Amino acid sequence: MKKLLLVAVMFLGLVANAQTADEILATYYENIGGIENLKKIKGLKMTASVNQQGMEIPLEIYQMADGKQMSVINFQGKEIKQGVFDGETLWGHNFMTMKAEKSDAEATANMKLDMNDFPDAFIDYKEKGYKVELLGKETIDGAETFKIKLTKEPVTIDGKKEDSITYYFFDTENFVPIAIQSEIKSGPGKGMMSEITMSDYQEVEGLYFPFSMTQGVKGQPGAPLTITKIELNPTVDAALFAFPEEK
Amino acid sequence: MKKQLLLVAVLLLSFSIKVDAQSKNTKGKQLFGDLTARHIGPALMSGRINDLENHPTNNRIIYAGTAGGGVWKSNDGGVTFNPIFDDYCQSIGAVEVDPNDPDNTIYVGTGETWTRNSVSYGDGLYKTVDGGVTWNKLGFENSDRIANIIVNPKNSNEIYVGVLGALWGDSEERGVYKSSDAGKTWDKILYTNQKTGCADLTMDPNNPKILYASMWEFRRTGWSFESGGKDSALYKSIDGGATWNKIHNGFPEGSLGRLAIAVAPSDSNILYTVIEAEKNERKGLYRSDDAGANWKQLNNDFGITVRPFYFSRIVVDPKNPDVVVKGGLSGSISRDGGKTFKNLGNMHSDIHDITFDIHNSDRMYAGTDGGVYRSLNGGTTMEIVENLPISQFYQVSVDDAEPYNIYGGLQDNGSWYGPSSSPGGIEARDWNSIGAGDGFRVLKHPTKNIIYSEMQGAENVWRYDVAAKRVKTIQPLPQKSFEKFRFNWNAPMAISAHQPNRFYMGSQYVHKSEDMGDTWTIISPDLTTNDPLKQDQSNSGGLSMDNSGAENHTTIFTIAESTLDENVIWVGTDDGNVQVTQDGGKTWTNTIANVPDLPKNTWTYHIEASVFNKGTAYVVFDGHTMNDMKPYTYKTTDFGKTWTSIITSDVVGSVRNIQEDYVNPDLLFLGTEFGLYITINGGKNWIKFTNNMPAVAVHFIELQKQTNDLVMGTHGRGIIIIDDISPLREINEEVLKEKVHFFTSKPTVIFEEGSFAGSFGAETQFVGANPSRAAQIKYHLSRRHTFGKMTLEIQDDNGKVISKLGPGKSKGINIVNWNYRLKNPKVAKGKTFSFGGFTSPLVEAGTYNVVLKKGKETFTQKIELIYDPKSNLSASDREVKHNTTMKMYNMTEELAYMVYELDAILEKAETLKKKKIVEKLTALKKTLVITTGDNYVGSAEPQLREKMSDLYSKIATSYDKPSNSELESLSIIEERFEVAKVDYQKIKKKVKFLDELNLKSFEEFIK
Repeated sequence: MKKLLLVAVMFLGLVANAQTADEILATYYENIGGIENLKKIKGLKMTASVNQQGMEIPLEIYQMADGKQMSVINFQGKEIKQGVFDGETLWGHNFMTMKAEKSDAEATANMKLDMNDFPDAFIDYKEKGYKVELLGKETIDGAETFKIKLTKEPVTIDGKKEDSITYYFFDTENFVPIAIQSEIKSGPGKGMMSEITMSDYQEVEGLYFPFSMTQGVKGQPGAPLTITKIELNPTVDAALFAFPEEK
Repeated sequence: MKKQLLLVAVLLLSFSIKVDAQSKNTKGKQLFGDLTARHIGPALMSGRINDLENHPTNNRIIYAGTAGGGVWKSNDGGVTFNPIFDDYCQSIGAVEVDPNDPDNTIYVGTGETWTRNSVSYGDGLYKTVDGGVTWNKLGFENSDRIANIIVNPKNSNEIYVGVLGALWGDSEERGVYKSSDAGKTWDKILYTNQKTGCADLTMDPNNPKILYASMWEFRRTGWSFESGGKDSALYKSIDGGATWNKIHNGFPEGSLGRLAIAVAPSDSNILYTVIEAEKNERKGLYRSDDAGANWKQLNNDFGITVRPFYFSRIVVDPKNPDVVVKGGLSGSISRDGGKTFKNLGNMHSDIHDITFDIHNSDRMYAGTDGGVYRSLNGGTTMEIVENLPISQFYQVSVDDAEPYNIYGGLQDNGSWYGPSSSPGGIEARDWNSIGAGDGFRVLKHPTKNIIYSEMQGAENVWRYDVAAKRVKTIQPLPQKSFEKFRFNWNAPMAISAHQPNRFYMGSQYVHKSEDMGDTWTIISPDLTTNDPLKQDQSNSGGLSMDNSGAENHTTIFTIAESTLDENVIWVGTDDGNVQVTQDGGKTWTNTIANVPDLPKNTWTYHIEASVFNKGTAYVVFDGHTMNDMKPYTYKTTDFGKTWTSIITSDVVGSVRNIQEDYVNPDLLFLGTEFGLYITINGGKNWIKFTNNMPAVAVHFIELQKQTNDLVMGTHGRGIIIIDDISPLREINEEVLKEKVHFFTSKPTVIFEEGSFAGSFGAETQFVGANPSRAAQIKYHLSRRHTFGKMTLEIQDDNGKVISKLGPGKSKGINIVNWNYRLKNPKVAKGKTFSFGGFTSPLVEAGTYNVVLKKGKETFTQKIELIYDPKSNLSASDREVKHNTTMKMYNMTEELAYMVYELDAILEKAETLKKKKIVEKLTALKKTLVITTGDNYVGSAEPQLREKMSDLYSKIATSYDKPSNSELESLSIIEERFEVAKVDYQKIKKKVKFLDELNLKSFEEFIK
């Protein structure tokens, strides 16, 4: 409680001053445990579950500093991997055959662009050639937020280069992102805005992470993802990310 | 020091909380939370388009500026569209993409420019520099309507805006404006007078210094329209707008009306104009081959001269200067430089804009009164865009069916009814046509399967027997010793809560029928001002006569019979009277003189008779046809002897409708030109509702009694529903202060309906969202939850967790859906999935505990589930069904555990090379689960797991109790399982290394 109050002091003190995007980001890093500590992380393993229509789907999400990542879903004791990336190949299991299949070349190329975004795209954004802009304030989930626009390297969509733009909403009270929005670039939802809202920030080894994320389309109810455990710097066999070639 | 700081912090905190509490009442986003609008279209008849705009280099991108539904963007060459301008005025005049930065910079000029009677109005010019995510207003607040925006293709800072200006009154904010600093400052570079605005503006695509502007003298009143005058003219500038000269050489003599201007993109010398002139033979299309120095008349066919105020756009093929298209009733295309025209292909009539694909002139788009059409063959065959739900409702009503139906009439698109929910979503095919022409009020007979509908000016009023499919017209006919009836374009109809067969209509008189419109009695004198100056519609139109009936005035516009006393009837007129009778029409009192601070003759748009007190009523007035955009809303509690204003400065724009809640008299809903406002304190302040709710004109609001759904007929975004507004009834200052406040809700019916929804052919259609069928847990949080753990569980009375839900964390109202199911059973691991095992069984009806844990605190609430009263299952049937389902659920998990054990033993036995055990277990396992194949057509022969879970799923998902054959099948599976268990135990007994396996207990396993 004391700690919280102290934190509140920090926040309140800064509300009046925090005007630029960089100041907001600096406060954010300070509040969640320090940018230096964040940069030291080599990887994350999240144990989570998605509740969909009564079906509780357990999953494990791996994100590594070198850009490797995967989600492992457990269905009836069978492991199904989705969004697996080993730095070169993006792949996932087909639900019908349960065999690994590669994603299309565009998706893979776009994924490669994000390899330098662990654990947080904002870290060293200038060095990465990204652009950050404070657009103003917006109310999200009833809370006042700073809306920050992040422009990364252009992505390729259906054969055409398009800007990669993401909007982050930092709570003006706590200076942590509570929502992320970006335009859906292809598929049936093309042109609509996707939204992830975040909450239940909790401490893991001195760093704060959101333990609850709800993903969906802006303005429509999303699917809640509940994280039960976050493990820092997990030991993971690199082979698990590799595309299993058929023998 | 530290202590002091802490004290300051506490002070600051309490201060900020206090500020919050005050702002709660004024900020919808902090109150309404998960209470979200649901759009159901329809899109099958779409709605009016004002302007189409291409992307200059990417032909996949096209924009549609709509008359009342905002701006929509297509990323796929016009197959599907998405809205990008929801938070602002939805009446659009012009959309312009900056040719130098086409992916990011877009300008939107608000206020539609095809000036029919029912148009809305704009509130300025907007700009985005991020492709439409955020918009900023660049001024022009009083421009009313913006006709054109042009960005210099060589200089983004240079922008020209053609302002048509006010339709209903004088205004100096008209003419051509120029900015040289990307819109920061503006100079008025061409201005005529307070009556004459810029109707069309174009730039020579090959020389940005050359501009053409058409100026139009025009005016509309509630009772007439005037197009043309001596000040209408066509101008040219060759110096970027510094000087202008009339270019009338070859023009008709006398006054001019609306003129359009187009430059052929492939030849700057070739210009086309369409001229509205005094003499019919001199109207039509004119062409210049010397950049405007001389003009020659080429054509004055009907298609070219029809209704200039509504259709005047000319578009020239970007590649061929002799291919010219003109908007019109059907749209016309010439391939000989404007000498002759033929109609465009069949599509909805009233074509306002056309555009060619930038690369391929065979591909064209047309904007009509019924949406956007595409053509792949140069305008011969047109196909409609199926996902633009921009229908313009004038009125909306609901019935009490389950699910309830919604009825309403549309601008130029007839009358319709459709369901509030439908399997797979509300699709185009769910809507039924119930009238022709322009549609307005549609009412369902309170008890019979009969629908009343009408067309403009009550030219036809239909009574439709739905079951028998029989139509008859029942409009009041001329009666002896009464003057000719004057019906409004949008003529009022009303039914009675007391007499189901009673039906009212209003001309200048109130007409009452007690036999569903077969016999009519007039029960009032002329209730209007009967001002003859406002009754000369046969001379309306100006240079082109336009007496469509749309300008009929001094008419009754709204009728409301009190639900508490059938002798109390309220009547409002378009010329500003508010009349009431308390004796069923014998005597009438005009109460308008008792309404304070209201300009004389302001249109009485809607009267809402209160359901709480027969002397209480609400009235809204709309002054926009007198160029007065202020909101007016009043309440009386004494039959109109006194009226009190309940409007506040929170509300912006004209008011069209008001709806009173049925339970809380302080809860009111206000439909305005720029969206929905809600008050929870009888009008002391109003909060704008913006959750998925565009700033669209809300013309009519109904509250459906059984569901508490707020149903809005919008004039540009179809039907929009807010499901179950009942939490708003409980909101007050105390509730807002509670950390967590649970709202009470009525018991939820467990939904057991099934259907064969198929989306055949609906891939590119708009599909309206269905309401949630889940049990909804609703609560208010005083702050957004961001730090620390928050969980939400459903528990039974013994504290057993039935379901874990993801709680809502917004400040304001949170709604969490619970689908009243257990989690699906743990299923034995096999080579493939057992799809039956994905079934989650329904819980039993009853009361459950909602347990919300936030940090260290716990909040609880009860939630009740009931079975559908229409279900014919008895309590004992329910019990059999539930027990059988759960028996199979448990059996499935038992098998899962057995296979888990078996797999562990098998694995160990393999490493220990216990060949005999391996053989026996492998043989047994093959009978328990599928061990080969895939999940699709490579599937193997089903084994015990598949048979068991499929039967489990069959019984669990049936609405019925288990049948005899299902029970027989169950006993076969049970027997087989028993045999398997015995076999397994025999093998297991011989295994010596069980202890080494470190097996989970059953309870741990199924967790």
